[in-house]
Amino acid sequence: MRVYVNQKPVDLVPGMQVKHALIQAGLMTAIAAGLKVYDEWGHEMGLDGSLAPGMKILVK
Amino acid sequence: MKRFRLVLLGLLLLLILAPGGYAGQTGLKIIYVNDFHGYAEPYKATGSGVPLGGIAYLAGAVDRARGKQPCLLLAAGDMTQGHPWANLVRGKSSLEVMNAMRFDAMVAGNHEFDFGPKGLKAMIAQARFPVLGANVKGLAALKPYVIKNLPGVRVAVIGVVTPETPVATHPRNVAGLTFSTPESAVRKYLPELKRRADIIIVLSHLGLQADKELAAKVPGIDVIVGGHSHTKVLQPELVGQTIIVQAWEHAKALGILNLKLKDGKVVEFNGELQEISPAGGAPNCQVQNVVARYQRQIDALLQRTIGETQVDLDGEHVRSGETNLGDFVADAMRQAARAEVAIINGGSIRSSIPRGQITMKDIYAALPFDNYLVGLSLTGAQVKAALEHGVARLDEPAGSFPQVSGLTFTYSRSAPAGDRVKDITVGGRPLEPQREYVVATNDYLVAGGDGYTVFGEALKSAGDYTNQGGTLTSSKLAYNDPGTWMRDLLVAAIQAQKTIAPKSDGRIKAMD
Repeated sequence: MRVYVNQKPVDLVPGMQVKHALIQAGLMTAIAAGLKVYDEWGHEMGLDGSLAPGMKILVK
Repeated sequence: MKRFRLVLLGLLLLLILAPGGYAGQTGLKIIYVNDFHGYAEPYKATGSGVPLGGIAYLAGAVDRARGKQPCLLLAAGDMTQGHPWANLVRGKSSLEVMNAMRFDAMVAGNHEFDFGPKGLKAMIAQARFPVLGANVKGLAALKPYVIKNLPGVRVAVIGVVTPETPVATHPRNVAGLTFSTPESAVRKYLPELKRRADIIIVLSHLGLQADKELAAKVPGIDVIVGGHSHTKVLQPELVGQTIIVQAWEHAKALGILNLKLKDGKVVEFNGELQEISPAGGAPNCQVQNVVARYQRQIDALLQRTIGETQVDLDGEHVRSGETNLGDFVADAMRQAARAEVAIINGGSIRSSIPRGQITMKDIYAALPFDNYLVGLSLTGAQVKAALEHGVARLDEPAGSFPQVSGLTFTYSRSAPAGDRVKDITVGGRPLEPQREYVVATNDYLVAGGDGYTVFGEALKSAGDYTNQGGTLTSSKLAYNDPGTWMRDLLVAAIQAQKTIAPKSDGRIKAMD
Protein backbone atom coordinates (compact mmCIF):
# COMPACT_ATOMS: atom_id res chain seq x y z
CA MET A 1 0.00 0.00 0.00
CA ARG A 2 1.11 3.57 -0.59
CA VAL A 3 1.19 6.21 2.11
CA TYR A 4 2.79 9.66 2.22
CA VAL A 5 5.39 10.85 4.66
CA ASN A 6 5.99 14.61 4.53
CA GLN A 7 4.28 14.40 1.11
CA LYS A 8 6.76 11.79 -0.13
CA PRO A 9 5.21 8.48 -1.26
CA VAL A 10 6.36 5.25 0.38
CA ASP A 11 5.22 1.72 -0.45
CA LEU A 12 4.59 -0.77 2.33
CA VAL A 13 3.22 -4.25 2.96
CA PRO A 14 -0.20 -4.48 4.68
CA GLY A 15 0.25 -4.73 8.42
CA MET A 16 3.20 -2.35 8.39
CA GLN A 17 3.22 0.53 10.76
CA VAL A 18 4.22 4.15 11.11
CA LYS A 19 7.79 3.16 11.95
CA HIS A 20 8.14 1.28 8.64
CA ALA A 21 7.05 4.35 6.73
CA LEU A 22 9.60 6.41 8.64
CA ILE A 23 12.35 3.87 7.95
CA GLN A 24 11.64 4.08 4.24
CA ALA A 25 11.54 7.86 4.37
CA GLY A 26 14.82 7.95 6.27
CA LEU A 27 13.26 9.78 9.22
CA MET A 28 13.90 7.50 12.19
CA THR A 29 16.91 9.55 13.26
CA ALA A 30 14.66 12.61 13.34
CA ILE A 31 12.31 10.76 15.67
CA ALA A 32 15.22 9.75 17.88
CA ALA A 33 16.12 13.44 18.01
CA GLY A 34 12.69 14.27 19.40
CA LEU A 35 10.47 15.01 16.41
CA LYS A 36 7.02 13.45 16.44
CA VAL A 37 4.64 11.93 13.92
CA TYR A 38 1.25 13.47 13.19
CA ASP A 39 -1.65 12.41 11.01
CA GLU A 40 -3.27 14.81 8.58
CA TRP A 41 -5.72 15.91 11.27
CA GLY A 42 -2.93 16.97 13.57
CA HIS A 43 -3.07 14.07 16.01
CA GLU A 44 0.17 12.57 17.25
CA MET A 45 0.61 8.90 16.34
CA GLY A 46 2.61 6.14 17.98
CA LEU A 47 5.39 4.48 15.96
CA ASP A 48 3.54 1.16 16.12
CA GLY A 49 0.36 2.72 14.76
CA SER A 50 -1.24 1.17 11.71
CA LEU A 51 -1.51 2.94 8.40
CA ALA A 52 -4.25 3.01 5.79
CA PRO A 53 -3.75 3.26 2.02
CA GLY A 54 -3.34 6.87 0.97
CA MET A 55 -2.75 8.09 4.49
CA LYS A 56 -0.66 11.24 4.91
CA ILE A 57 1.61 11.61 7.91
CA LEU A 58 3.93 14.41 8.91
CA VAL A 59 7.13 14.35 10.91
CA LYS A 60 7.77 17.64 12.68
CA MET B 1 -55.36 8.85 54.15
CA LYS B 2 -52.14 9.31 56.08
CA ARG B 3 -50.70 6.24 54.40
CA PHE B 4 -51.78 7.60 50.99
CA ARG B 5 -49.95 10.89 51.66
CA LEU B 6 -46.82 9.02 52.74
CA VAL B 7 -46.85 6.93 49.55
CA LEU B 8 -47.37 10.04 47.44
CA LEU B 9 -44.49 11.81 49.20
CA GLY B 10 -42.29 8.76 48.64
CA LEU B 11 -43.10 8.70 44.93
CA LEU B 12 -42.36 12.41 44.58
CA LEU B 13 -38.99 11.98 46.32
CA LEU B 14 -38.18 9.04 44.05
CA LEU B 15 -38.89 11.10 40.95
CA ILE B 16 -36.73 13.96 42.15
CA LEU B 17 -33.78 11.88 43.37
CA ALA B 18 -33.68 9.12 40.72
CA PRO B 19 -30.86 9.34 38.10
CA GLY B 20 -32.11 11.41 35.21
CA GLY B 21 -34.73 12.91 37.39
CA TYR B 22 -38.00 14.29 36.22
CA ALA B 23 -36.42 15.89 33.11
CA GLY B 24 -35.04 12.47 31.80
CA GLN B 25 -31.45 13.68 32.12
CA THR B 26 -28.55 11.50 32.97
CA GLY B 27 -24.84 11.29 32.40
CA LEU B 28 -22.66 8.54 31.00
CA LYS B 29 -18.91 8.39 31.42
CA ILE B 30 -16.92 6.30 28.95
CA ILE B 31 -13.37 5.48 29.99
CA TYR B 32 -11.27 3.90 27.29
CA VAL B 33 -7.86 2.54 26.37
CA ASN B 34 -6.48 0.89 23.26
CA ASP B 35 -3.34 -0.84 21.98
CA PHE B 36 -1.82 -1.66 25.35
CA HIS B 37 0.26 -4.47 23.74
CA GLY B 38 1.46 -5.65 27.14
CA TYR B 39 3.58 -2.58 27.91
CA ALA B 40 3.03 -3.06 31.60
CA GLU B 41 5.84 -0.87 32.93
CA PRO B 42 6.53 2.82 32.28
CA TYR B 43 9.08 3.31 29.53
CA LYS B 44 10.81 5.98 27.51
CA ALA B 45 9.61 5.95 23.92
CA THR B 46 12.07 6.72 21.10
CA GLY B 47 13.01 10.38 21.26
CA SER B 48 11.33 10.90 24.62
CA GLY B 49 13.26 11.66 27.78
CA VAL B 50 10.42 10.97 30.18
CA PRO B 51 9.01 7.56 31.11
CA LEU B 52 5.30 7.32 30.38
CA GLY B 53 2.75 4.61 30.91
CA GLY B 54 2.59 1.82 33.44
CA ILE B 55 -0.64 -0.15 33.54
CA ALA B 56 -0.81 0.04 37.35
CA TYR B 57 -0.72 3.84 37.11
CA LEU B 58 -3.35 3.75 34.39
CA ALA B 59 -5.50 1.54 36.61
CA GLY B 60 -5.10 4.07 39.42
CA ALA B 61 -6.28 6.79 37.05
CA VAL B 62 -9.29 4.64 36.12
CA ASP B 63 -10.15 4.27 39.80
CA ARG B 64 -10.06 8.04 40.24
CA ALA B 65 -12.01 8.64 37.04
CA ARG B 66 -14.88 6.36 38.00
CA GLY B 67 -17.42 8.49 39.77
CA LYS B 68 -20.92 7.85 40.93
CA GLN B 69 -22.49 8.30 37.52
CA PRO B 70 -23.01 5.45 35.06
CA CYS B 71 -19.67 4.46 33.66
CA LEU B 72 -18.19 2.01 31.14
CA LEU B 73 -14.54 0.95 30.84
CA LEU B 74 -13.78 -0.14 27.27
CA ALA B 75 -10.73 -1.52 25.45
CA ALA B 76 -10.41 -0.95 21.71
CA GLY B 77 -8.20 -3.93 20.95
CA ASP B 78 -4.58 -5.12 20.76
CA MET B 79 -4.31 -5.52 24.51
CA THR B 80 -2.70 -8.96 24.74
CA GLN B 81 0.19 -9.21 22.28
CA GLY B 82 3.43 -7.30 21.67
CA HIS B 83 5.73 -6.92 24.65
CA PRO B 84 7.36 -10.07 26.12
CA TRP B 85 5.40 -9.40 29.35
CA ALA B 86 2.31 -10.43 27.37
CA ASN B 87 3.77 -12.57 24.59
CA LEU B 88 5.56 -15.10 26.72
CA VAL B 89 2.36 -15.97 28.57
CA ARG B 90 0.16 -15.66 25.47
CA GLY B 91 -1.79 -12.71 26.77
CA LYS B 92 -2.76 -14.13 30.18
CA SER B 93 -1.03 -11.29 32.00
CA SER B 94 -3.00 -8.63 30.12
CA LEU B 95 -6.27 -10.46 30.71
CA GLU B 96 -5.65 -10.79 34.44
CA VAL B 97 -4.92 -7.07 34.69
CA MET B 98 -8.03 -6.25 32.67
CA ASN B 99 -10.16 -8.45 34.92
CA ALA B 100 -8.74 -6.69 37.97
CA MET B 101 -9.59 -3.34 36.38
CA ARG B 102 -13.17 -4.51 35.68
CA PHE B 103 -13.35 -3.80 31.98
CA ASP B 104 -16.87 -3.85 30.56
CA ALA B 105 -15.99 -4.92 27.02
CA MET B 106 -13.14 -5.26 24.56
CA VAL B 107 -13.02 -5.58 20.80
CA ALA B 108 -10.57 -8.14 19.44
CA GLY B 109 -7.74 -6.30 17.72
CA ASN B 110 -5.84 -7.85 14.82
CA HIS B 111 -3.09 -8.89 17.21
CA GLU B 112 -5.53 -10.78 19.43
CA PHE B 113 -5.54 -13.33 16.58
CA ASP B 114 -1.75 -13.83 16.70
CA PHE B 115 -1.95 -16.68 19.18
CA GLY B 116 -4.23 -18.60 16.84
CA PRO B 117 -7.88 -19.58 17.33
CA LYS B 118 -7.07 -21.71 20.40
CA GLY B 119 -5.13 -18.87 21.97
CA LEU B 120 -7.94 -16.42 21.33
CA LYS B 121 -10.56 -18.81 22.69
CA ALA B 122 -8.45 -19.27 25.84
CA MET B 123 -8.20 -15.50 26.27
CA ILE B 124 -11.93 -15.05 25.81
CA ALA B 125 -12.57 -17.78 28.38
CA GLN B 126 -10.26 -16.02 30.84
CA ALA B 127 -11.84 -12.60 30.31
CA ARG B 128 -14.59 -11.59 32.70
CA PHE B 129 -15.99 -9.28 30.06
CA PRO B 130 -17.25 -9.88 26.55
CA VAL B 131 -14.75 -9.86 23.68
CA LEU B 132 -16.41 -8.50 20.56
CA GLY B 133 -16.02 -8.90 16.83
CA ALA B 134 -19.24 -8.32 14.89
CA ASN B 135 -17.53 -8.56 11.49
CA VAL B 136 -15.77 -11.86 12.24
CA LYS B 137 -17.51 -15.15 11.48
CA GLY B 138 -16.34 -18.58 12.46
CA LEU B 139 -15.53 -18.07 16.15
CA ALA B 140 -18.62 -18.40 18.33
CA ALA B 141 -16.82 -17.09 21.41
CA LEU B 142 -16.54 -13.67 19.75
CA LYS B 143 -19.79 -11.82 20.35
CA PRO B 144 -21.03 -9.12 17.98
CA TYR B 145 -22.24 -6.78 20.69
CA VAL B 146 -23.19 -6.40 24.32
CA ILE B 147 -26.04 -4.39 25.86
CA LYS B 148 -25.31 -2.68 29.15
CA ASN B 149 -28.33 -1.62 31.21
CA LEU B 150 -27.01 1.20 33.34
CA PRO B 151 -29.08 3.44 35.66
CA GLY B 152 -31.02 5.74 33.38
CA VAL B 153 -29.48 4.56 30.13
CA ARG B 154 -29.17 1.45 28.02
CA VAL B 155 -25.92 1.24 26.04
CA ALA B 156 -25.13 -1.04 23.14
CA VAL B 157 -21.46 -1.70 22.40
CA ILE B 158 -20.70 -3.34 19.04
CA GLY B 159 -17.15 -4.35 18.18
CA VAL B 160 -15.46 -4.31 14.75
CA VAL B 161 -11.89 -5.19 13.81
CA THR B 162 -9.86 -4.28 10.76
CA PRO B 163 -10.65 -6.58 7.81
CA GLU B 164 -6.90 -6.47 7.02
CA THR B 165 -6.38 -8.90 9.89
CA PRO B 166 -5.96 -11.95 7.60
CA VAL B 167 -2.95 -10.36 5.86
CA ALA B 168 -1.53 -8.98 9.09
CA THR B 169 -1.07 -12.35 10.78
CA HIS B 170 -0.07 -15.87 9.83
CA PRO B 171 -2.78 -17.58 7.76
CA ARG B 172 -3.06 -20.43 10.28
CA ASN B 173 -4.20 -17.88 12.88
CA VAL B 174 -7.33 -17.01 10.92
CA ALA B 175 -8.06 -20.41 9.39
CA GLY B 176 -11.82 -20.89 9.17
CA LEU B 177 -12.58 -17.24 9.89
CA THR B 178 -14.09 -14.69 7.55
CA PHE B 179 -13.86 -10.95 8.02
CA SER B 180 -16.60 -8.79 6.55
CA THR B 181 -16.47 -5.03 6.25
CA PRO B 182 -17.13 -3.06 9.43
CA GLU B 183 -19.79 -1.04 7.61
CA SER B 184 -21.82 -4.13 6.68
CA ALA B 185 -21.58 -5.53 10.21
CA VAL B 186 -22.68 -2.30 11.88
CA ARG B 187 -25.53 -1.81 9.40
CA LYS B 188 -26.67 -5.36 10.07
CA TYR B 189 -27.00 -4.97 13.83
CA LEU B 190 -27.90 -1.28 14.10
CA PRO B 191 -31.69 -1.56 13.71
CA GLU B 192 -31.89 -4.18 16.45
CA LEU B 193 -29.56 -2.24 18.71
CA LYS B 194 -31.57 0.96 18.21
CA ARG B 195 -34.64 -0.84 19.56
CA ARG B 196 -32.79 -2.22 22.57
CA ALA B 197 -30.50 0.65 23.55
CA ASP B 198 -30.47 4.42 23.90
CA ILE B 199 -26.81 4.91 23.04
CA ILE B 200 -24.85 3.06 20.36
CA ILE B 201 -21.09 2.74 20.82
CA VAL B 202 -18.90 1.17 18.15
CA LEU B 203 -15.80 -0.25 19.80
CA SER B 204 -13.49 -0.19 16.83
CA HIS B 205 -10.07 -1.57 15.97
CA LEU B 206 -9.99 -0.01 12.50
CA GLY B 207 -7.78 3.06 12.79
CA LEU B 208 -8.89 6.69 12.93
CA GLN B 209 -9.20 7.14 9.18
CA ALA B 210 -11.52 4.14 8.91
CA ASP B 211 -13.46 5.33 11.97
CA LYS B 212 -14.15 8.63 10.25
CA GLU B 213 -15.23 6.82 7.09
CA LEU B 214 -17.53 4.55 9.08
CA ALA B 215 -19.10 7.53 10.85
CA ALA B 216 -19.67 9.27 7.51
CA LYS B 217 -21.24 6.20 5.89
CA VAL B 218 -23.37 4.88 8.75
CA PRO B 219 -25.49 7.45 10.58
CA GLY B 220 -26.90 6.55 13.94
CA ILE B 221 -23.67 5.73 15.78
CA ASP B 222 -23.34 7.90 18.87
CA VAL B 223 -19.70 7.16 19.74
CA ILE B 224 -16.78 5.36 18.12
CA VAL B 225 -14.10 4.34 20.61
CA GLY B 226 -11.15 3.51 18.39
CA GLY B 227 -7.74 1.91 18.25
CA HIS B 228 -5.25 0.34 15.80
CA SER B 229 -3.70 3.59 14.55
CA HIS B 230 -2.28 4.47 18.01
CA THR B 231 -3.64 7.98 17.64
CA LYS B 232 -3.50 10.50 20.45
CA VAL B 233 -6.90 12.18 20.02
CA LEU B 234 -6.67 14.85 22.67
CA GLN B 235 -10.19 16.17 22.16
CA PRO B 236 -13.04 14.10 20.76
CA GLU B 237 -13.68 14.50 17.06
CA LEU B 238 -17.13 14.82 15.55
CA VAL B 239 -18.14 13.40 12.17
CA GLY B 240 -21.79 14.16 11.53
CA GLN B 241 -23.38 13.34 14.86
CA THR B 242 -20.80 10.67 15.76
CA ILE B 243 -18.22 11.35 18.44
CA ILE B 244 -14.84 9.68 17.75
CA VAL B 245 -12.13 9.10 20.33
CA GLN B 246 -8.86 7.16 20.68
CA ALA B 247 -6.32 6.94 23.51
CA TRP B 248 -2.89 6.63 21.91
CA GLU B 249 -1.02 3.43 22.93
CA HIS B 250 0.91 1.35 25.44
CA ALA B 251 -0.98 2.54 28.58
CA LYS B 252 0.46 6.03 28.05
CA ALA B 253 -2.97 7.65 28.01
CA LEU B 254 -6.41 7.16 29.48
CA GLY B 255 -9.41 8.51 27.59
CA ILE B 256 -12.44 9.94 29.35
CA LEU B 257 -15.59 10.94 27.49
CA ASN B 258 -18.46 12.51 29.39
CA LEU B 259 -21.87 12.40 27.78
CA LYS B 260 -24.84 14.36 28.99
CA LEU B 261 -28.02 12.62 27.94
CA LYS B 262 -31.58 13.83 27.79
CA ASP B 263 -34.35 11.37 27.08
CA GLY B 264 -31.74 8.86 25.99
CA LYS B 265 -30.02 11.17 23.49
CA VAL B 266 -26.62 12.84 23.68
CA VAL B 267 -27.15 16.58 24.17
CA GLU B 268 -23.68 17.56 25.26
CA PHE B 269 -20.25 16.00 25.54
CA ASN B 270 -16.72 16.74 26.59
CA GLY B 271 -13.63 14.62 26.79
CA GLU B 272 -9.95 14.51 27.53
CA LEU B 273 -6.91 12.30 27.38
CA GLN B 274 -4.98 11.95 30.61
CA GLU B 275 -1.30 11.21 30.10
CA ILE B 276 -0.24 8.36 32.35
CA SER B 277 3.08 8.29 34.17
CA PRO B 278 4.50 7.42 37.57
CA ALA B 279 4.40 11.13 38.37
CA GLY B 280 0.68 11.35 37.68
CA GLY B 281 -0.85 9.68 40.69
CA ALA B 282 -0.88 6.59 42.84
CA PRO B 283 -0.99 3.20 41.12
CA ASN B 284 -3.64 0.57 41.72
CA CYS B 285 -1.90 -1.79 44.13
CA GLN B 286 -3.75 -4.91 43.03
CA VAL B 287 -2.73 -4.34 39.42
CA GLN B 288 0.79 -3.49 40.51
CA ASN B 289 1.00 -6.88 42.21
CA VAL B 290 -0.25 -8.65 39.09
CA VAL B 291 2.35 -6.84 36.97
CA ALA B 292 5.14 -7.81 39.37
CA ARG B 293 4.02 -11.43 39.60
CA TYR B 294 3.99 -11.85 35.85
CA GLN B 295 7.33 -10.07 35.51
CA ARG B 296 8.83 -12.66 37.85
CA GLN B 297 7.30 -15.36 35.69
CA ILE B 298 8.70 -13.76 32.52
CA ASP B 299 12.14 -13.48 34.10
CA ALA B 300 12.02 -17.19 34.96
CA LEU B 301 10.89 -18.08 31.42
CA LEU B 302 13.75 -16.11 29.94
CA GLN B 303 16.23 -18.05 32.05
CA ARG B 304 14.81 -21.35 30.88
CA THR B 305 17.07 -23.55 28.73
CA ILE B 306 15.61 -24.09 25.26
CA GLY B 307 18.40 -26.18 23.77
CA GLU B 308 22.11 -26.67 23.50
CA THR B 309 24.77 -25.57 21.08
CA GLN B 310 27.86 -27.69 20.66
CA VAL B 311 29.78 -24.77 19.15
CA ASP B 312 30.18 -21.09 19.87
CA LEU B 313 27.58 -19.13 17.88
CA ASP B 314 29.26 -16.09 16.34
CA GLY B 315 27.12 -12.99 16.49
CA GLU B 316 30.12 -10.66 16.59
CA HIS B 317 31.43 -10.83 13.02
CA VAL B 318 28.06 -10.74 11.28
CA ARG B 319 28.78 -7.29 9.80
CA SER B 320 31.86 -8.37 7.88
CA GLY B 321 31.40 -11.96 6.83
CA GLU B 322 29.40 -15.15 7.00
CA THR B 323 29.03 -16.61 10.50
CA ASN B 324 27.49 -19.81 11.77
CA LEU B 325 24.88 -17.89 13.75
CA GLY B 326 24.04 -15.79 10.69
CA ASP B 327 23.64 -19.01 8.70
CA PHE B 328 21.44 -20.57 11.39
CA VAL B 329 19.15 -17.55 11.68
CA ALA B 330 18.82 -17.25 7.90
CA ASP B 331 18.11 -20.99 7.59
CA ALA B 332 15.38 -20.76 10.26
CA MET B 333 13.77 -17.87 8.44
CA ARG B 334 13.89 -19.58 5.08
CA GLN B 335 12.30 -22.69 6.49
CA ALA B 336 9.58 -20.78 8.36
CA ALA B 337 8.65 -18.83 5.24
CA ARG B 338 9.04 -21.89 2.99
CA ALA B 339 11.19 -19.71 0.79
CA GLU B 340 13.94 -20.58 -1.66
CA VAL B 341 16.30 -17.94 -0.33
CA ALA B 342 16.71 -15.87 2.81
CA ILE B 343 18.58 -12.58 3.05
CA ILE B 344 18.84 -10.70 6.32
CA ASN B 345 20.99 -7.84 7.52
CA GLY B 346 23.84 -8.87 9.77
CA GLY B 347 22.98 -5.91 11.97
CA SER B 348 19.80 -7.65 13.13
CA ILE B 349 22.06 -10.01 15.14
CA ARG B 350 23.51 -8.26 18.17
CA SER B 351 25.38 -10.80 20.28
CA SER B 352 27.10 -14.18 20.29
CA ILE B 353 26.03 -17.27 22.22
CA PRO B 354 28.76 -19.40 23.79
CA ARG B 355 28.89 -23.17 23.49
CA GLY B 356 26.62 -24.89 26.00
CA GLN B 357 23.05 -24.41 27.17
CA ILE B 358 21.01 -21.82 25.26
CA THR B 359 18.46 -19.83 27.22
CA MET B 360 15.60 -17.79 25.83
CA LYS B 361 17.40 -14.75 27.18
CA ASP B 362 20.39 -15.59 24.95
CA ILE B 363 18.14 -15.52 21.90
CA TYR B 364 16.39 -12.32 23.00
CA ALA B 365 19.82 -10.69 23.36
CA ALA B 366 21.01 -11.98 20.00
CA LEU B 367 17.84 -10.80 18.22
CA PRO B 368 16.55 -7.95 20.37
CA PHE B 369 14.56 -6.08 17.72
CA ASP B 370 10.86 -6.53 17.12
CA ASN B 371 11.42 -7.74 13.56
CA TYR B 372 9.09 -10.15 11.85
CA LEU B 373 9.34 -12.41 8.84
CA VAL B 374 8.24 -11.35 5.38
CA GLY B 375 8.50 -13.37 2.16
CA LEU B 376 8.57 -11.58 -1.18
CA SER B 377 8.97 -12.68 -4.78
CA LEU B 378 12.09 -11.15 -6.26
CA THR B 379 13.63 -11.65 -9.68
CA GLY B 380 17.13 -13.05 -9.86
CA ALA B 381 18.31 -9.58 -10.86
CA GLN B 382 16.73 -8.14 -7.73
CA VAL B 383 18.36 -10.82 -5.57
CA LYS B 384 21.72 -9.83 -7.04
CA ALA B 385 20.94 -6.16 -6.40
CA ALA B 386 20.20 -6.96 -2.77
CA LEU B 387 23.50 -8.79 -2.39
CA GLU B 388 25.38 -5.96 -4.12
CA HIS B 389 23.91 -3.53 -1.60
CA GLY B 390 24.89 -5.85 1.23
CA VAL B 391 28.56 -5.84 0.24
CA ALA B 392 28.69 -2.23 -0.94
CA ARG B 393 30.17 -0.90 2.31
CA LEU B 394 33.25 -2.90 3.22
CA ASP B 395 35.51 -0.17 4.57
CA GLU B 396 33.98 -0.71 8.01
CA PRO B 397 31.62 -3.32 9.46
CA ALA B 398 28.11 -2.37 8.36
CA GLY B 399 24.77 -3.63 9.60
CA SER B 400 23.74 -4.06 5.98
CA PHE B 401 26.21 -6.91 5.40
CA PRO B 402 24.02 -9.89 4.46
CA GLN B 403 23.58 -13.27 6.06
CA VAL B 404 21.97 -15.72 3.68
CA SER B 405 20.36 -19.10 3.23
CA GLY B 406 19.56 -21.11 0.15
CA LEU B 407 22.16 -19.33 -1.94
CA THR B 408 25.89 -18.89 -2.27
CA PHE B 409 27.84 -16.04 -3.76
CA THR B 410 31.36 -14.71 -4.13
CA TYR B 411 32.37 -11.08 -4.12
CA SER B 412 35.41 -9.00 -4.89
CA ARG B 413 36.49 -6.43 -2.31
CA SER B 414 38.58 -4.56 -4.86
CA ALA B 415 35.81 -4.17 -7.43
CA PRO B 416 33.72 -0.97 -7.31
CA ALA B 417 30.63 -1.01 -5.11
CA GLY B 418 27.64 -2.15 -7.13
CA ASP B 419 29.75 -4.54 -9.20
CA ARG B 420 31.28 -6.81 -6.56
CA VAL B 421 29.03 -9.86 -6.54
CA LYS B 422 29.87 -12.85 -8.75
CA ASP B 423 28.81 -16.44 -9.14
CA ILE B 424 25.47 -16.59 -7.37
CA THR B 425 23.85 -19.99 -7.02
CA VAL B 426 20.40 -20.79 -5.65
CA GLY B 427 19.78 -24.36 -4.62
CA GLY B 428 23.06 -25.27 -6.29
CA ARG B 429 22.08 -23.78 -9.67
CA PRO B 430 23.25 -20.51 -11.23
CA LEU B 431 20.96 -17.60 -10.45
CA GLU B 432 18.62 -16.76 -13.33
CA PRO B 433 18.13 -12.99 -13.59
CA GLN B 434 14.60 -13.10 -14.99
CA ARG B 435 13.26 -15.92 -12.85
CA GLU B 436 11.31 -15.15 -9.68
CA TYR B 437 12.47 -16.48 -6.32
CA VAL B 438 10.63 -16.43 -3.02
CA VAL B 439 12.96 -14.59 -0.67
CA ALA B 440 12.53 -14.52 3.11
CA THR B 441 13.66 -11.39 4.85
CA ASN B 442 12.54 -9.17 7.69
CA ASP B 443 10.16 -6.23 7.84
CA TYR B 444 13.01 -3.81 8.52
CA LEU B 445 14.64 -4.55 5.18
CA VAL B 446 11.32 -4.56 3.33
CA ALA B 447 10.70 -1.08 4.70
CA GLY B 448 14.08 0.04 3.36
CA GLY B 449 16.15 -0.34 6.50
CA ASP B 450 19.96 -0.30 6.18
CA GLY B 451 19.46 1.27 2.76
CA TYR B 452 17.93 -1.80 1.11
CA THR B 453 15.62 -0.41 -1.59
CA VAL B 454 15.21 -3.52 -3.73
CA PHE B 455 12.47 -5.05 -1.57
CA GLY B 456 10.36 -1.90 -1.73
CA GLU B 457 10.93 -1.72 -5.48
CA ALA B 458 9.71 -5.29 -5.83
CA LEU B 459 6.51 -4.32 -4.00
CA LYS B 460 6.03 -1.26 -6.17
CA SER B 461 6.43 -3.32 -9.32
CA ALA B 462 3.42 -5.38 -8.23
CA GLY B 463 1.23 -2.30 -8.51
CA ASP B 464 -1.58 -1.61 -6.11
CA TYR B 465 -2.80 -4.31 -3.83
CA THR B 466 -6.07 -5.87 -4.91
CA ASN B 467 -8.92 -5.85 -2.47
CA GLN B 468 -10.47 -9.30 -2.36
CA GLY B 469 -13.44 -9.38 -0.02
CA GLY B 470 -11.93 -6.66 2.11
CA THR B 471 -8.48 -8.26 2.25
CA LEU B 472 -5.51 -6.70 0.53
CA THR B 473 -3.34 -9.12 -1.41
CA SER B 474 -0.35 -8.76 -3.71
CA SER B 475 1.23 -11.12 -6.18
CA LYS B 476 4.65 -10.27 -4.69
CA LEU B 477 3.84 -11.03 -1.06
CA ALA B 478 4.49 -14.70 -0.29
CA TYR B 479 4.59 -14.57 3.50
CA ASN B 480 3.71 -11.97 6.10
CA ASP B 481 3.47 -12.59 9.84
CA PRO B 482 3.63 -9.34 11.84
CA GLY B 483 2.39 -11.21 14.89
CA THR B 484 5.49 -13.37 15.42
CA TRP B 485 8.87 -11.89 16.17
CA MET B 486 11.87 -13.49 14.47
CA ARG B 487 13.48 -14.26 17.81
CA ASP B 488 10.45 -16.37 18.73
CA LEU B 489 10.81 -18.25 15.42
CA LEU B 490 14.45 -18.89 16.33
CA VAL B 491 13.47 -20.14 19.80
CA ALA B 492 11.04 -22.57 18.17
CA ALA B 493 13.70 -23.75 15.72
CA ILE B 494 16.16 -24.47 18.53
CA GLN B 495 13.54 -26.17 20.68
CA ALA B 496 12.65 -28.40 17.73
CA GLN B 497 16.26 -29.44 17.14
CA LYS B 498 17.25 -29.49 20.83
CA THR B 499 20.97 -29.68 20.01
CA ILE B 500 22.59 -27.59 17.27
CA ALA B 501 26.11 -27.32 15.89
CA PRO B 502 25.90 -24.93 12.91
CA LYS B 503 28.99 -24.35 10.82
CA SER B 504 29.79 -21.64 8.33
CA ASP B 505 29.59 -23.57 5.10
CA GLY B 506 31.04 -21.16 2.58
CA ARG B 507 27.91 -19.41 1.42
CA ILE B 508 29.64 -16.04 1.23
CA LYS B 509 33.21 -15.98 -0.08
CA ALA B 510 35.45 -13.00 -0.58
CA MET B 511 37.68 -13.54 -3.59
CA ASP B 512 40.31 -11.02 -2.58
